[in-house]
Amino acid sequence: MGVIEAEDVTRRFGEGDAAVDALRGVSLDVPAGQFAAVMGPSGSGKSTLMHILAGLDRPTSGSISIDGTEITELNDKRLTLLRRHNIGFVFQFFNLLPTRTAEENILLPLQIAGTKPDHAWVEAVIDRVGLGERRRHRPAELSGGQQQRVAIARALVSRPTVIFADEPTGNLDSATGGEILKVLREAVDTYQQTTVMVTHDASAAAVADRALFLADGLIVRDAPCHSASDIMTILAELSAG
Amino acid sequence: MIRYALRSMASHKLRTVLTAIAIVLGTAMMAGTFVITDQIRNAFSDIFGTSFAGTDVYLSRRPAFGSGTGQDQVGPLPASVIAQVRKVPGVAKADGQIQAAGSLVVNGKYLKSQGGAPNLVVSTLPKPFNQNTLVAGHYPEGHGQVALIEQTATDHHLHVGQHVELTTLVGVQPVTIVGIFRFGNVSSIGGATVIATTFADAQQWYNRIGKTSTISVDGEPNVSPAQLRERIAAALPHFVKAQTGPQAAKQQTDQVSNSINSFFTPALLAFAGAAVLVGAFVIFNTFSITVAQRMREFAMLRTIGAMRRQVLLTVLGEALVVGVTASVLGLVAGVGFAKLLGALFKAVGFGLPLAGISVHLWPGVVLPLAVGIGVTMAASFAPARRATRVPPIAALREGAELPPTRLARFTPYIAGLLLVLGILAVFLGVTGSGPTTQRLFTIAIGAIVSFIGLAMVSRYLIRPLARAIGWPLGLRGGASGRLARENTTRNTGRTAVTAAALMIGIGLVVFFSVLINGFKQSFLGSIDKSVTSNLIIQNHSQGAPVPDAAVSVTAGVPGVGSATGIAFTNVRIGKGGTDVANGVDPQALPKLYQFQWQKGGSDALLGKLHGNNTVVEEQFAKSHHLSPGSTFQVTSVDGRHLTLHEIGQYKDPVLFGGFMLTQKTYARVSTDANPQVLLVRYASGANGDATTRAVKAALKAYPDVNVQTNSEFKASFSKQINQLLYLLYVLLAMSVVISLFGIVNTLALSVFERTREIGMLRAIGTTRLQLRETILYESVITAVIGGLLGIVIGVVLAWVVALGFRSSGIVFAIPYGQVVLSLVVAVIAGVVAAAFPARRAARLNVLEALQYE
Repeated sequence: MGVIEAEDVTRRFGEGDAAVDALRGVSLDVPAGQFAAVMGPSGSGKSTLMHILAGLDRPTSGSISIDGTEITELNDKRLTLLRRHNIGFVFQFFNLLPTRTAEENILLPLQIAGTKPDHAWVEAVIDRVGLGERRRHRPAELSGGQQQRVAIARALVSRPTVIFADEPTGNLDSATGGEILKVLREAVDTYQQTTVMVTHDASAAAVADRALFLADGLIVRDAPCHSASDIMTILAELSAG
Repeated sequence: MIRYALRSMASHKLRTVLTAIAIVLGTAMMAGTFVITDQIRNAFSDIFGTSFAGTDVYLSRRPAFGSGTGQDQVGPLPASVIAQVRKVPGVAKADGQIQAAGSLVVNGKYLKSQGGAPNLVVSTLPKPFNQNTLVAGHYPEGHGQVALIEQTATDHHLHVGQHVELTTLVGVQPVTIVGIFRFGNVSSIGGATVIATTFADAQQWYNRIGKTSTISVDGEPNVSPAQLRERIAAALPHFVKAQTGPQAAKQQTDQVSNSINSFFTPALLAFAGAAVLVGAFVIFNTFSITVAQRMREFAMLRTIGAMRRQVLLTVLGEALVVGVTASVLGLVAGVGFAKLLGALFKAVGFGLPLAGISVHLWPGVVLPLAVGIGVTMAASFAPARRATRVPPIAALREGAELPPTRLARFTPYIAGLLLVLGILAVFLGVTGSGPTTQRLFTIAIGAIVSFIGLAMVSRYLIRPLARAIGWPLGLRGGASGRLARENTTRNTGRTAVTAAALMIGIGLVVFFSVLINGFKQSFLGSIDKSVTSNLIIQNHSQGAPVPDAAVSVTAGVPGVGSATGIAFTNVRIGKGGTDVANGVDPQALPKLYQFQWQKGGSDALLGKLHGNNTVVEEQFAKSHHLSPGSTFQVTSVDGRHLTLHEIGQYKDPVLFGGFMLTQKTYARVSTDANPQVLLVRYASGANGDATTRAVKAALKAYPDVNVQTNSEFKASFSKQINQLLYLLYVLLAMSVVISLFGIVNTLALSVFERTREIGMLRAIGTTRLQLRETILYESVITAVIGGLLGIVIGVVLAWVVALGFRSSGIVFAIPYGQVVLSLVVAVIAGVVAAAFPARRAARLNVLEALQYE
């Protein structure tokens, strides 16, 4: 049984003639410890899918369970608590608090949850993402790559069931992006951290265990990943129709 | 560019409205002040115009100096003048009138006037002088008949034919109500009670035998009032002042006008000014924040070729539209505010007659408009100039910061200097010489400058203050408390100005609380220290005399050890200012009042207090350069001179300012020798309660006197002072309300600015409640900073003023309860201000917020 289970999820925006079906019946299953990449051209519904899986948006129909909890019926409060305890986020634009140092940003989820930080764990996470000496710096004093490392550490620190990463390399140059992907990959391997990453970059998807290809609101291919070239091939096949 | 400005404002309606409100309220207060003072003035003008309509020439005693008090305070004329006037050619008719203080007693109950208004007794004048309108019955024609003004009759359910009693200087007199009238055409003069008697009764009852207060003259048809006035003035001695009817009406209207203009108007305008100042802070802050938020927009304008001047005009154009709209709305709201003020004064007991509303261009319309628009423009000028410094390149960069101004590094020094200079100006204003208005102006400017200085200094205090205030919130609120604290320190300048707006309101509240408490404590302290009486007896009608007979009656009550009356009046000293002459009984007084003798004096000096000898208060001696042995001349209000010989000095600037004379000598400088205060001390061994009851029983015949124990007296004094304080609080509430809008505005703009951050916080598990708490704590921290700063500046300014008045015996005493209360008000303001922005933040859609740019 997967940590994430989605069953026939649809999402319709707008009503009547103006209605747009972003998702048209998506089912998927992500087992624990897997690093899954969601790929697809813009407008394919990959972001919508991630938002719904992460409890940021609600499906029009279908069911989603995270770690056995059906989330489509949860009210805002329960959903928020679910995000707090079961989900970690890595955003394209980092979204760090400018007033806080790297370390303080990392501790933010624990503070919000009101849990006492486990110092050994926090140290391990900071070490894992390679932020050792930069921990006392504020976001403005950090490079984009360093900021994203902070964001990854912030996602890891509450030991979530699953981390959702939304175009984590989208705002970075390719060399830095590569380092960030490495950090994510290592985190998955070290902590068996289930991770779902949305990306349109084939080389990014290549570090995942599995790639899901979306087009027009449907999963059109679900394949294990081996290399960027494999993925390029699949993309070429798909676009050839 | 103006069209661009308008469009930009339309797209930020809420911000525009909140900013405008800050100015609407201030200008409304200003406009309302002019409206209501005008109404009061017109009402009195109507009243006096009507009452003198049938009078060609009006005679009264010429005051020896401007006493500023009512007509009969200057003393009566000999009744023989009436006969003299009648002999002047051209005089058709001349009659005397007596004006005195007294009220009715109905079923043993004394009828008080409302809210400090006088209890008037006037003798009835015949036609054409009598311009009143009868509502029922007739005017008094015989002994023991009285007529009442309609309001008094209605208020106390009195009717024609009713037998009641009237308080007089010779005890209560039985009278019959024979008529009810309107004053001209109005049913009331503020809250005053008005009782008309016959001329003969008034002479008998109010110590005016052979005298008259005033004389009204009607001329033959062929003589003009002006001619007649000249003839009469030529025929009568100099102490008779002759005025035509319109002159008298104008003079009395002017007297009211002057007292309004010298206190009422400036006081109200000062509160309106405080509100406008707070509004200026709100405007400055809102424009600063929006300019910072619109940097990319300005940079974009610059890249497409807009000149700096055009950017400046865009922002100033917005300010102009806000200023004009808000000021015009303020004018309209001013009418409502005037109504509110009228109701407020009535509620706290200052019942004043109000005429209909009339609008005058100057100053009623022009001044509030000019101030409202001017302040808006002035407050937005600095932010507008900052907007011009946005480099075009900022359009392409995210999170570009405005370059600091060249003067930025001097700011802390300038701020500190302003603060010190402001406080110094207040001190100089208090202690300086020169006209009162000029000194008050210096104090006001000093206060404003010190507020601005502290507001500028405070940005350097925000971090430690936020840390201290946020600490308990952090304990209780966890992440919310910490986030709130961080948010308030994110832009210290912004938080400082937001807090400063509240600081002004709270600062003024604390300033007046401390100052008035000091005044109260000085008075109560002096009584505790020096007055050894058990009872203090006064007239119910403030300042009115206690009948002399009541003194002897009280002295004869078993259990009373000593009783002494004290009379006081204003006299002119030498050729200069006025001061207080106190008429005392040198034998009795030391048993009831403990002198603090100066220069080696002792109670033995009182043995020498006879004839023209006087003992003087230390401050009085100082300001007139007197020492034991020196002499000085005093002039009574009715023009009698007396040379006094100083034999010693005591210290008590609060209760016994001026100098003391024997009651016999006092009568030579006063128009009324009856005392205003009667002090009573029980005989040793007498039962206190029983004696108090006995004194009250003995004084039943004088229902206008109010018998109070010392503690009752002190309590009623405190109550009066507190009432004044409450009135000030209500007037200052406007300033607090405006600053509240400022907090709302800052929070709303900050929430808007942090939209994406809020999205992130919600995504990683912050609940709506936690988010609301964060905004709430942020608001409370800001408000409490404002409150604390306000308390500090209020206390400091009050201390400076108290220091300046130290020689007058005013002490500096902090009313801790009220100070704590003002902090509670700040907390409440913070909670209220947070409601709307917190709701807005909590309702943000997480996804949209995350994608917000």
